[in-house]
Amino acid sequence: MNTATSQIATKNIADSILEPVLAPSTAIDINNVTVSFKTPKGTYTAVKEISLTVQKGEIVSLIGHSGCGKSTLMGTISGMVKPTNGTVTANGKSVSGPGPDRGIVFQNYSLLPWLSVYRNIYEAVDSALKDMSKSEKRELVQRNLKMVHLWDHKDKLPGQLSGGMKQRVAIARAFAINPSILLLDEPFGALDALTKSNMHVELLKLWNLDNREKTIVMVTHDIEEAIFLSDRVVVMNNGPAATIKEIVQVPLERPRNKKDIVHDPVYMSIHDKLLNLLIDKFSIHDIKE
Amino acid sequence: MLYFVIGMLLLLGLWDMIARITKNEIPSPLSTWSVFKEVMQNPFQNDPDYKGIGTKLFSSLARVGIGFGLGSLIAIPLGFIMGSSKTIMNIINPIVQILRPVSPLAWFPLGLAIFQDSPKASIFMIFICCLWPTLINTSFGASSIPQDHKNVGKAFGFSIWKYITKIMLPYSLPHIFTGLRLSIGVAWMVIVAGEMLSGGIGLGYFVWEEGFNGGSVAKILVAILIIGAVGLLLDKMFTALQKRFTYAV
Repeated sequence: MNTATSQIATKNIADSILEPVLAPSTAIDINNVTVSFKTPKGTYTAVKEISLTVQKGEIVSLIGHSGCGKSTLMGTISGMVKPTNGTVTANGKSVSGPGPDRGIVFQNYSLLPWLSVYRNIYEAVDSALKDMSKSEKRELVQRNLKMVHLWDHKDKLPGQLSGGMKQRVAIARAFAINPSILLLDEPFGALDALTKSNMHVELLKLWNLDNREKTIVMVTHDIEEAIFLSDRVVVMNNGPAATIKEIVQVPLERPRNKKDIVHDPVYMSIHDKLLNLLIDKFSIHDIKE
Repeated sequence: MLYFVIGMLLLLGLWDMIARITKNEIPSPLSTWSVFKEVMQNPFQNDPDYKGIGTKLFSSLARVGIGFGLGSLIAIPLGFIMGSSKTIMNIINPIVQILRPVSPLAWFPLGLAIFQDSPKASIFMIFICCLWPTLINTSFGASSIPQDHKNVGKAFGFSIWKYITKIMLPYSLPHIFTGLRLSIGVAWMVIVAGEMLSGGIGLGYFVWEEGFNGGSVAKILVAILIIGAVGLLLDKMFTALQKRFTYAV
């Protein structure tokens, strides 16, 4: 065992001894949440009576078909969406809006096109961490940009970056405010398969650097991505009024290896299970005339 | 550049043909050129009985500048407010829609009644006609900020000041410049027509003098060319500004 793994193993043993004495380790508590919108055609219910708990340091994926309300559900955690019914608690506090304890990575990167890479992160840090000194903020930006290997590109504008680079900036921005919860909304959806694969490993690396303390909730369409990254995969029903179909455990050991994992029988059975939950047409024979 | 030259040559050819057809009632390009050189003598002379073409040009530009400046000073902030608030948009938009189609020249007598002064009435006329394109484009910019950008502000807790300076303003800037460009275009056209009404020194009055007081047609053509060239330069200037502040996502 190398030092990193043994350190984490020791930490986990220590945690489990101390657990009853420590504060509760629930990071996110979604309690009977329903989200409805008023539309010109009437009320549209996106998600209905959903309850979900996420422990601290867990990586959880929300997976389902388009329009099944996964982004809406995550919106209630981030505070960008207000539940019509039910409550959401994050880090022990009721969620009433976005906050520096929850970092968000959007589907479309959402970098401000007129600000340099450096300034995109700096402005976020400046707004979210108001009480920090200027030099502390500058140090945060530098550290996080270096973490995603984009320090050399700090003065470039987003228009001059590739999709993968833009997403790394967006991730650095979310990490920079040092949130305890990271919310990723199909963060790699717009990237090509090769870049996506790299980003999975990079994300896990960043998570490891923080001693796996950050809780991550991720919305995705990609089954392989969900299994590779997560501890649990939450499969949602189709919308409207979507609910949780099933929660699948992913008891694969970390660190996970992209090449080896696909040959692991546990991986393969989880993969099959998720396929069965999500896909109903496996071949042309499944389409009835 | 080549296409520009071809276009200009075609224009010159057409012009020459018209000159021949009208038996030099419309002077040919060549004779106009000699008149042009004559007009360009002492361009900045500013005597009571003779004012050079440069003086006339700057007189027109000054009037446009003041009217345009005042108009933009009001239209830009008002555009921001209109674009940011649906209520204010709904209140002010009908006013804009009613006043906008009115020919700018119709504002001149009104200006005369208010200011009792010809030059001030001209500036008033320019001021009014410069409002609309800038106001409409600015409010469009402010109201069309993509949800993605707004989400960044919301997610990271941008203060109102930061939202305005780091999101709303930079996004709206190309739209503002589009509006300014359209406004200056209208203003430049209007000043030439307006000076025919108001008199004074400028290029418009020069055209009026030569055209309606039995002057030389060649001088009118020279004036047209100068007016056109200046209009083109102004337009190019604002287009360059607009491009400078447009960012790829």
